Amino acid sequence: MQSVIESPTKRKPMSSAQPDSAEYAAELLSRIAASRSRQAFAELFKHFAPKLQAYATRQFGNEQTAMDLVQETMTNVWHKAHLFKPDRGSAATWIFTIARNIRFDFLRKNKHRQYDLSADDLWPVLAETNESLDDDYALDDDLLLQQLAVYCESLPIAQKEVVELIYIEGKSQQEVADALEIPLGTVKSRTRLALQKLKELIKTDD
Amino acid sequence: MIKSHPHEQLLVQYATGELNPAMLVMIGTHVDMCPQCQQHVADIEEQIALKVLGERVTDAALPNTVVDSMLESIMNSPAPIQVRAEAARDYISLEGKRFALPATLARNEHRIGQWHHMVSKLWRAPVDIGNGEMLNLIYMADGAQVPEHTHKGREATLVINGVFNDEFNEYRDGDFILLDEHHKHTPQTQGEDCLTLATLDAPMHFTAGISRLLNPFSSLFFR
Ligand SMILES: [Zn+2]
Repeated sequence: MQSVIESPTKRKPMSSAQPDSAEYAAELLSRIAASRSRQAFAELFKHFAPKLQAYATRQFGNEQTAMDLVQETMTNVWHKAHLFKPDRGSAATWIFTIARNIRFDFLRKNKHRQYDLSADDLWPVLAETNESLDDDYALDDDLLLQQLAVYCESLPIAQKEVVELIYIEGKSQQEVADALEIPLGTVKSRTRLALQKLKELIKTDD
Repeated sequence: MIKSHPHEQLLVQYATGELNPAMLVMIGTHVDMCPQCQQHVADIEEQIALKVLGERVTDAALPNTVVDSMLESIMNSPAPIQVRAEAARDYISLEGKRFALPATLARNEHRIGQWHHMVSKLWRAPVDIGNGEMLNLIYMADGAQVPEHTHKGREATLVINGVFNDEFNEYRDGDFILLDEHHKHTPQTQGEDCLTLATLDAPMHFTAGISRLLNPFSSLFFR
């Protein structure tokens, strides 16, 4: 795996924490969602992939298909972590429902029992909600966390504070508004201004 | 208030995807309409996840080299196409009335075919889920009666909107009824119309009086 430069401001995992603690697995997911943290994903992967593989091998009785299920499930976890809602269930449950959907689609594409109905038609685990699509402030993939930490230093204090809470702590905009006791609209405008500024900084640096 | 729910076994099979597609749509639609079963399914998923993803496995199963190359390929993969949660249309119109579709049916609204008038007060529209599966929307106008029948397989009915009754009970929005070959019944509407979703493992068999002559009617009903 490619080395990951950790930003100095990023929270380090607590030494005793394991992804089988529900809170910790949820925290890893929120770090992936907020900042595409490769380190958080690697940790989550190393915990869940072997279990998924054991499950898929029992289900399919075929090593290759099992590996395909692991890969496809974890690919969705990487790209769709923002769809995980901690108040609706545990990280393990969310990952299981993704694996369930992928297993369903693998089986339905099997030529002996082809049918039209897809897992997405039944269980919209991976569907973007209005909420997730309305988020205009998702970080571009190229705006990496380690760059952020450096550039954040040149932001006004108020913007820097908001950006760090959202993209490094993984808080929602509403949580930031509550924590700082400022209106949600202010959080949104500060985030937008900060991101514009950051993008300019990165461009001029290139 | 929904009083007739799918048995827990069906909810478990729904949560794992181990039912035929017609029944998955039926149970999914009931779950959309029923907060109690939503909670139940969430609990079932939590428990299965704990069982499947909570167990210890030997580390040897995935060698480090495999882990590293998978991680690399996943984190460099392009983002998958986004799936929208919102259905294009979440209602159907029939006989000048408009019926809201629960989320599962709304996501599959494009599969709902033409309405056919069957007999006096009964209409049917197939829900095409492929592979010859039989899933139908059945509309009973006020004062409709389906002749008494048994089933060679299991008949599942879900009330989407309205009320109907048979010899045993009265069924309203969200009620899910599963009958097998040991049950005879005569569904009818009295004072209100009713839209239901229904699936059948095998054709119905009419048992009473003159309607025995109607047995070919069952293939009209569920086709
Ligand atoms: Zn229910």
